[in-house]
Amino acid sequence: MPNKETFLKEMGPRIGRLVDKKGRLYFEVAGKDLHEVVKYLFHKMDCRLSTATAMETYHGLEVLYHFSHDSTGQYYCPRVLMTDKKNPRMSSIAPIVKGAEWIEREMTEMLGITFDGHPRPERLLTREHPKGLDQPLRLRRPS
Amino acid sequence: MIKTVIPVGPFHPLLEEAEYFTLTVDGETVVDIDMDIGWMHRGHEYLSEGKTFTQSIYLVERICGICSTSHPIACAHAIEDVDNVEIPPRAAYIRTLVGELERIHSHLLWLGLAGHFIGYDTLWMWAWKYREPVLQIFEKISGNRNHYGMLRVGGVGRDVDPDSISGLLRILDEVWRKIEMVAQAAGDDPVLKARLKGVGVLSKQAAVDYCAVGPTARASGVPIDVRKDEPSDAYGLVEFKKIVLQNGDVYDKLVVRLLETLESIKIVRQCLEKLKAAPGAILNDVKEISAGEGIGRYEAPRGEVFHYVRTDGSNRPIRHKVRAPSYVNIPTFAVSCKGIPVADVLITLASVDPCYCCTERAVRMVDSHNLPFRIDLAKLSREKTARIRREIHG
Repeated sequence: MPNKETFLKEMGPRIGRLVDKKGRLYFEVAGKDLHEVVKYLFHKMDCRLSTATAMETYHGLEVLYHFSHDSTGQYYCPRVLMTDKKNPRMSSIAPIVKGAEWIEREMTEMLGITFDGHPRPERLLTREHPKGLDQPLRLRRPS
Repeated sequence: MIKTVIPVGPFHPLLEEAEYFTLTVDGETVVDIDMDIGWMHRGHEYLSEGKTFTQSIYLVERICGICSTSHPIACAHAIEDVDNVEIPPRAAYIRTLVGELERIHSHLLWLGLAGHFIGYDTLWMWAWKYREPVLQIFEKISGNRNHYGMLRVGGVGRDVDPDSISGLLRILDEVWRKIEMVAQAAGDDPVLKARLKGVGVLSKQAAVDYCAVGPTARASGVPIDVRKDEPSDAYGLVEFKKIVLQNGDVYDKLVVRLLETLESIKIVRQCLEKLKAAPGAILNDVKEISAGEGIGRYEAPRGEVFHYVRTDGSNRPIRHKVRAPSYVNIPTFAVSCKGIPVADVLITLASVDPCYCCTERAVRMVDSHNLPFRIDLAKLSREKTARIRREIHG
């Protein structure tokens, strides 16, 4: 079973800026390399996707996936950065991890990120909202 | 072939949070299920960004009335994870104590509801009767039967009175005896086995694919439990077993919860014994949280609760992500509900332990005669149990 060292060795060329904390590994991944990294985490390391966090920063938007390696208690968190605030888009990991389907739909409606290849790109939480909310988590941060 | 669409929800007595399920049935067999959530979206993540860390803990306590200490524990873990804040040993035992008491009352609540849905009203009344002393323990410890307000960054906000511990242990002994009795009665009942075995099966592979958590995953043979995988608070200091079964049906989910309840009582006893003998501080003085990010999680009764915070050095999170266990367990209905009779849908939906909301279904359907279209899932489920009972007992 691959461990953190094996992961860093094999995926090293695909990993950008890295923060290694106690039990937590946050690292940047280019959008084009995300699928390879996710396949490695989900299929080879048997990691489980806890969820993903999207947020807007001054430089753009970012999506941080949280993969839990339950046999060691370690978290692996690939981070994808997008600088185009008007049309942020990246590839969906839902075709690889079914458990990502809902959270990617949520990130789309909350922050306006388009996930290419998502099997069902519909609103999840705000479809029936009386005020017709649109990207509510971005409203207070003018670009 | 005529297929019928049956709406369940958005307001239904089975569902704690308002969710809307669309069942497509062919005859009596469910061939497809669709889920529509968002009816109770309250914007907690956005609200939290306007609160201080201490206020955030109070806020997330109100996400769920049943897991009302699991969210605060996970939230405190996430904030503490930013700076690797340590908590005093006594606070660790108190956190574990409150968390496990919550598991006992939540599992007993579920057991009662499950019994009611399949026509075992005696089981329902027993389970809820024996849950009552657990709520009384909460009242003695925290002053509240629910929403305990115990958690703080760096520890807990209220100590457990050592003089009250002997009385609490006596109450627990009584709860243990009653739960053992219920477990034995449930295990020996041929009707219950015939009614629940092989119903709503979630395979191990499906549980892994959908990233299911908690008893839903453990009943399908996925050995994940945050309390063992990443022991926090006092979980590394107490002895208990991780309950994992293999069949993935509703019966195994019932057994997992019953056995876990007994394990939780064991943990609570150990915590109380330690609290009797180990005086000390309950809160470390945390002056500030530096800029960074932290992940916190806790094994709630329904599975892993996940919190993530991003901080900028101020006293508020700039991003607070919350993921409750039902968010990953509910999508598994796409597998567990397909191919089963309509009469089994209710107990299969209930098997992942969605909480209870005392409201009624609000969708109005009209049939071909312009009369209200109604299907009573609870009635169908209870009739099936009665039929099995007649077949077994004559």
